[in-house]
Amino acid sequence: MRIDAARGHAVPVAVVCLVILVLWYLAAIPMNAVVTQPKIDAAGGGLYNTLLFSWNHERPVLPAPHQVAQEIWKTVFMVAPWKVKSLVYHLWITLSSTLVGFVLGTLLGISLAIGIVHVGSLEKSLMPWIIASQTIPILAIAPMLIVVLGKTGLPDIFTKASISTYLCFFPVAIGMVKGLRSPDKLQLDLMRTYNASAAQVLWKLRFPAAMPFLFASLKVSVAIALTGAIVAELPTGAVSGIGARLLQGSYYGQTLQIWAALFVAAFAAATLVWLLGAFERMSWKRMGVKT
Amino acid sequence: MAENVITARDLDLTFQTNDGPVFALSKINLDVVEGEFVSFIGPSGCGKTTLLRAIADLEKSSSGTLIVNGMTPERARLARAYGYVFQAPALYPWRTVERNVGLPLEIMGLDNQAARIQRNLDLVNLTGFEKKFPWQLSGGMQQRVSIARALAFDPKLLLMDEPFGALDEIVRDKLNQQLLELWDRTAKTVVFVTHSIPEAVFLSTKIVVMSPRPGRIIDIIETNLPRKRSLDIRETPEFLKIAQRVREGLKAGHSYED
Repeated sequence: MRIDAARGHAVPVAVVCLVILVLWYLAAIPMNAVVTQPKIDAAGGGLYNTLLFSWNHERPVLPAPHQVAQEIWKTVFMVAPWKVKSLVYHLWITLSSTLVGFVLGTLLGISLAIGIVHVGSLEKSLMPWIIASQTIPILAIAPMLIVVLGKTGLPDIFTKASISTYLCFFPVAIGMVKGLRSPDKLQLDLMRTYNASAAQVLWKLRFPAAMPFLFASLKVSVAIALTGAIVAELPTGAVSGIGARLLQGSYYGQTLQIWAALFVAAFAAATLVWLLGAFERMSWKRMGVKT
Repeated sequence: MAENVITARDLDLTFQTNDGPVFALSKINLDVVEGEFVSFIGPSGCGKTTLLRAIADLEKSSSGTLIVNGMTPERARLARAYGYVFQAPALYPWRTVERNVGLPLEIMGLDNQAARIQRNLDLVNLTGFEKKFPWQLSGGMQQRVSIARALAFDPKLLLMDEPFGALDEIVRDKLNQQLLELWDRTAKTVVFVTHSIPEAVFLSTKIVVMSPRPGRIIDIIETNLPRKRSLDIRETPEFLKIAQRVREGLKAGHSYED
């Protein structure tokens, strides 16, 4: 069954990839014309020269897919991972603050949700602030947060992680408020007939019932935690991390470097979401969920 | 002389709603004696479930007195005096059968949990299903698990709110018989809510006939049928006479009118 399902997915995904690749290659021709047209003309024009120069320019406006692939190969596999030239090194820098921010944000989100569910006045007093916090553009608040926190002497990684925390506590808090309130009346009445304490109701009923909501929220928040970590690297002029690579790439017109960093970051985010999915399936198995 | 487990005197319960007050219970006077099997019967909205929930301290009465095990319902609930079986099994889907039955034991911190779970699963004929999850069982089996769970901490009083209402008649007959055997063996006091006349007559030693608007007691019938009964008893004249009297009571309370 699983293999059939995988095969069922493979064809549509492959088709979409192919379409994107074709469009990308085609787009590279007019996009790069600014820098390649004189060379194409000098070489005598024609289709062959157009494609050759459009898809292999050293500093293209839009690099062709195979150039990005080569760049990734060069910076991921051909360099020792602890060297500054290695994308793995930069990814690790970003990923470590992503994970710290993700864990802190998740804990913050869960604590807020527990408070809101148990103390009626907290919902009225906290909820507007929680929602307002997410309406402020992160790009506006990130530099201030980083500068202010940087002055406190906190280790750098926490300063950077604060942006991830700021972004990812929100979906967790909202999802968990809903999840902790998901038990039905009978399930709650049952606890009441046992004279169960609030802590017992939380651990034995509310928390297990909230698990589906938690996982849905975690998948959203881990992806934005990575975005947050990259954004956090921009205003500090960091020298390492995916964000630093993007920044340097744009300073020096290294489009290849930007695209390679983007793809590696996207791949890392997809892997994190997939890992959470695997973890989710494992916990479903333990909780006896019908599959 | 057996003692009163439940005593209600002039009990009123009014819900305040946006459409004005709803008189769910009015002037309820009732005695439930230790070891009895008492059924509340009546149409929807007659307050039978509300009365059971008031006994369980899941609803608060507006006036009058209600005494459970010699104390207020709240004290009785805090003392974990009763096991409650709901209309739906209300099992926790992430717990296996044995862990569902063990839930009250965990919460109350009782000892000998494994033995208690085993004994009560045995009581409802579910030995061998310990490791199953609720979704792997039929509706009737799920409700039996919930009965085992209500009995797990050995309360003297068992409150049952239409526990078999959602099951088909054949399963229901079987569970009724098993419930009677269980009541006979454990000598518990059972209060049972139903809207089925044959079910009420078959199970009970005392039938409380109720009527809506306001929720009140129309008739209280002592059945005097033998403690050990089989399903065949439903064909006997004594049984039919009691069923007739219940029906008369319901008619007198306008239960058959729109």
